[in-house]
Amino acid sequence: MVYIPPLNFAPVVSTEVSLYRSGYPMPLNYPFIADQLQLKTVIYVGDKEISEDYREFLASQSIVYEYVHVESCRDANIKEHMDQVLRKVLDKHNYPILIHSNKGKHRVGVVVGIIRKVLQGWSTTGVYQEYDIFSGGLKGGVDLEFVTMFETDLKVRRLTIPDFVKLQDEGVTKTGS
Amino acid sequence: MDTNEEEDHPYINEETEVGHGVVQVKRAPVQRIVPPLNFCPVERYLYRSGQPSPVNFPFLLDLQLKTIIWLANEEPQDTLLEFCDAHSVQLQFATINPEGGEDDNPWDGLTEHSIVAALETIVKAQNYPLLVCCGMGRHRTGTVIGCLRRIMNWNLASVSEEYRRFTGSRGGRILVELLIEAFDTDLVKIDRAQAPQWLNT
Repeated sequence: MVYIPPLNFAPVVSTEVSLYRSGYPMPLNYPFIADQLQLKTVIYVGDKEISEDYREFLASQSIVYEYVHVESCRDANIKEHMDQVLRKVLDKHNYPILIHSNKGKHRVGVVVGIIRKVLQGWSTTGVYQEYDIFSGGLKGGVDLEFVTMFETDLKVRRLTIPDFVKLQDEGVTKTGS
Repeated sequence: MDTNEEEDHPYINEETEVGHGVVQVKRAPVQRIVPPLNFCPVERYLYRSGQPSPVNFPFLLDLQLKTIIWLANEEPQDTLLEFCDAHSVQLQFATINPEGGEDDNPWDGLTEHSIVAALETIVKAQNYPLLVCCGMGRHRTGTVIGCLRRIMNWNLASVSEEYRRFTGSRGGRILVELLIEAFDTDLVKIDRAQAPQWLNT
């Protein structure tokens, strides 16, 4: 069996939980996803209706499909939509997770950039470099500006936060005990 | 299938907001960490990058590395050697060309021998968490990871796509891709009982 991962596929976090990124999975990628990833959740950040074969594949694997409608980071309701993704990512019961867009470049790049910055504390240069690697050096000035300025205000249960999320200082603060 | 807003965060209410195991997520931590050049996870507890420098050490500490494979003839910077010493990280040299000596140039590809040496470390779970790195994290690291993907039965186009992703603006080298394509995966002895779990699926 030869495996064909989806376009621009890579792990984002691969420790006790697995979070992956990619472009839109095609039928030729299904064996790879089914055999190698054992996903529990797929988050699609994009603007296309789900195709019938993809819906069937996800159902056959009992994968929960979360559609987050995003055209670009200039959308009016982009912050809510990023929060929707972050809530999924902040609950370890949803793992393994695959987040994909169409080509795995810009929209996923923004989501991953936010995870790197807000949840993991990566430096701005680290976030920019990673965005570049996956976008093939295409300009992403607006995307990166958005990631740089992004702040949120989520309240989540401490017990269900995956271990890779940094909890020790004021970026993610304990409220109460 | 889709969880609605209510179910999604039932714990956000006035009672939980003032305590009891609820955390607030707002912005980046004050203490930022800097990933090494071209850093990326490859598989569970397996990472790739360029040569880490002192600015990356706090980042490396978070990875709790047990092994670093350094793909070069010359030694890495003293600071990296000291870091490995101080944190009991096993540093494995996989020289490009053991016979080349001083005349060896950094543009030469890896030899089959050094690829196999690196991969034999990678296929043993006892060496994890593990970082594979070279000067820039492009070609030598890309060669080893490419050969690993062949062992994992990835199709060649996908292996090349991944390799090129990390090669920067000047793109991939055809010689590296040929080396990956021609690599005889049977040269790497894998003891399934000792291999990382993802290699056995």
